[in-house]
Amino acid sequence: MKPHFLFPYWCRYLGWGLVIAHVPMSIIGRANGMINPLDNPPTQSLFTGEHLFFICTSLVMALGLFIVAFSREKIEDEQIWHLRLDSLRWAIYINYLVLIASLIFIYDTAHILELNLWVPLIFFIIRFRWAIFRLNRSLSKEG
Amino acid sequence: MKNNIRVERAIKDITQGDLAEKVGVSRQTINTIESNKYVPSTVLALKIARVFGKPLEEIFMLEDGD
Repeated sequence: MKPHFLFPYWCRYLGWGLVIAHVPMSIIGRANGMINPLDNPPTQSLFTGEHLFFICTSLVMALGLFIVAFSREKIEDEQIWHLRLDSLRWAIYINYLVLIASLIFIYDTAHILELNLWVPLIFFIIRFRWAIFRLNRSLSKEG
Repeated sequence: MKNNIRVERAIKDITQGDLAEKVGVSRQTINTIESNKYVPSTVLALKIARVFGKPLEEIFMLEDGD
């Protein structure tokens, strides 16, 4: 199989680490009165406290999910690649369904952007892991 | 598309794991190909045929619906 660009296998742990790390960051930030800039009209300057808070929470989580989604499996063969593409296709379908529904029914465009930051990645990861779980289960059934 | 990988494996006395290792895929992939749940790429099909030392058409056959 032709090599495709994916992160190494160990990167998935780094990705989950980032996703988990964003939770305490978010809690501590909010406890200290930080507000997500998407909840507020944007301020004039970059790298203010709120901007850094945004980077430490939403972007760290999105980056973590991105790395988890595109990390290599232990054995990355053509069937895994096929499942990956199929899951990606479903993630795009769901993402655009959510996007279109939210554009029609929700006026708050800033949160639609935030939703788009993680919906395709979360859905892709769930669909892909589920497909691999089913594959492994069929193997263990047949012995 | 159907195949007789299972029969060929039995003749050659190799396991799914052995075949998977020889052609560079996971055991799951060989299992799903054997049970006709996954159709391999031409490259993988040729590699499998080469392991058994037979032409491709003797391992993989088209079905009526194909």
